[in-house]
Amino acid sequence: MSFREFAQFTAPTRVVAGRDLIDGIGFEFMKEGAQRVFLVTDKVIRETGLADRVSAGLADGGLEVAGMFDAIEQDSAVPTVEACAAAAKEAGADSFFAVGGGSVMDTAKIAMTLFSHGGTVHEYEGIYALPRAADGMGAPLPVAPLGALPTTAGTGSEVSMAAVVKDHEAKVKLEFADFPLFPKLAVLDPAATATLPPAIAASTGMDAMTHAIEGYLTLDGSPQRDAFALHALRLLNANIEKAVLTPEDEDARGNMLVAAALAITQSLGITHSMSHPAGGHFGVPHGVANAINLPHAIRFNAGGEPEVADRYRDVAEVMGTETGGSGPDVGDALATHIEGVTERLGLPRRLSEVGVPEDGIPALVEGAMGDGCTIVNPREPTEDDFTDLFRKAL
Amino acid sequence: MPYFKSDAEVYEFIGKLFEDLQEDDELAPKFQKANTIVQYQYRNPESQITVKMIDGEDGQVDCGETTMEPEVVMTMDADTAHKFWLGKVNVTVALARGQMKAKGPVAKILKLVPLVKPVFPRYRQMLDDAGRQDLLDAA
Repeated sequence: MSFREFAQFTAPTRVVAGRDLIDGIGFEFMKEGAQRVFLVTDKVIRETGLADRVSAGLADGGLEVAGMFDAIEQDSAVPTVEACAAAAKEAGADSFFAVGGGSVMDTAKIAMTLFSHGGTVHEYEGIYALPRAADGMGAPLPVAPLGALPTTAGTGSEVSMAAVVKDHEAKVKLEFADFPLFPKLAVLDPAATATLPPAIAASTGMDAMTHAIEGYLTLDGSPQRDAFALHALRLLNANIEKAVLTPEDEDARGNMLVAAALAITQSLGITHSMSHPAGGHFGVPHGVANAINLPHAIRFNAGGEPEVADRYRDVAEVMGTETGGSGPDVGDALATHIEGVTERLGLPRRLSEVGVPEDGIPALVEGAMGDGCTIVNPREPTEDDFTDLFRKAL
Repeated sequence: MPYFKSDAEVYEFIGKLFEDLQEDDELAPKFQKANTIVQYQYRNPESQITVKMIDGEDGQVDCGETTMEPEVVMTMDADTAHKFWLGKVNVTVALARGQMKAKGPVAKILKLVPLVKPVFPRYRQMLDDAGRQDLLDAA
């Protein structure tokens, strides 16, 4: 095994995982310097009573709840983030706590950034674009503490330094990545996913599985990421079907939360390159698109360098799948296993089932070729390769 | 010691490379698909190159002051830029380490990365033609 040219790994979020953590959430968040907490959630979560339970848990731990913001749509928008930051200022908060899925957590991250540094949402779009000391080359300037209680097991935003906000006017997704966007605290409590609809549990779970597999194969990985990814896959393989098909299984739901938090990484691969434009052009839910595209990406990659197939062998091994033979055989065995999981979860198997027309392929190919995940994929695809992959996925 | 002694040297080589690319019948249309204006802000020596790559419009390269409004701003040492055009910088590593910082819609720039490989020999040739073996050897 060669020594990498460069590897970087950072996981600064303190993760607490267990049962009955919500009622003592203030006890944990106080350790991060929070005193007057601004809760960020959405209306669906609020209706389940979870946000109020978190609010009570914060107060029980001796913290004040300065206010609550629940006006977050599915793809959080620039004005929503600005309104959230302004409301936190108005409330005199000193910290943020997000209760929800990816959109809620990402809103809280960028609202926390505006709250801490002022400016506009667009100012912070990019990689390492938050303010720093030493003429932009030193340590990031401090931000308000952020905690998160994820209500889906998939996005991993609760332990990541990334966020996405939609600019509906320009019809683009703004992407942010910087160290201060790592939440200070992530609370993984299966009670938070108790009311998650099975279809959402399935698609977000497949998103986590895709993060783990692509994170293990990416050109931009690290040995620590490898360890996280392989254990995430063990947990995902053992728990995803139980968590979806028998949602009362609290152990399975808890293990899925841990798996999603282990699986998330910045550097992915062409499954995501294919899924991003499928979402952008045809509204295919991200986890569903990943579930459909992942087996095709695996078969393609496994036909490349032998080292790539060797890594898929590792993945197959932790997922309990027998592999043998050449690279394409390994890829096919793993892809077939994943297709079986997708089928048992009741998710769509083809892009044509979720509204992608055949004449949409050229736009999808253009989007995939230009996606940031493509350059860290372990096998370089051409336009013809993507056309072939989309045809197979259709 | 920085490879380039002055901003004028940055413009003489990296600026000229961008200008040549705008004139390239094969590459220019591909770069213009990025549909953006990128500003490269270099340190050591302080210098700035702004490049317009808008689909269906003529290209434009401004070395130094500009009236163009960049959508993406890439910040790096001029040394990093030089090594990049020699084909000696892994962009994903440079971004991960913060050697290159990107403000704005980064994906628009990342999509260009696979396109620039054919440009590396051209940059080497330019340095060679100018008798700048020192720059070829430096990186």
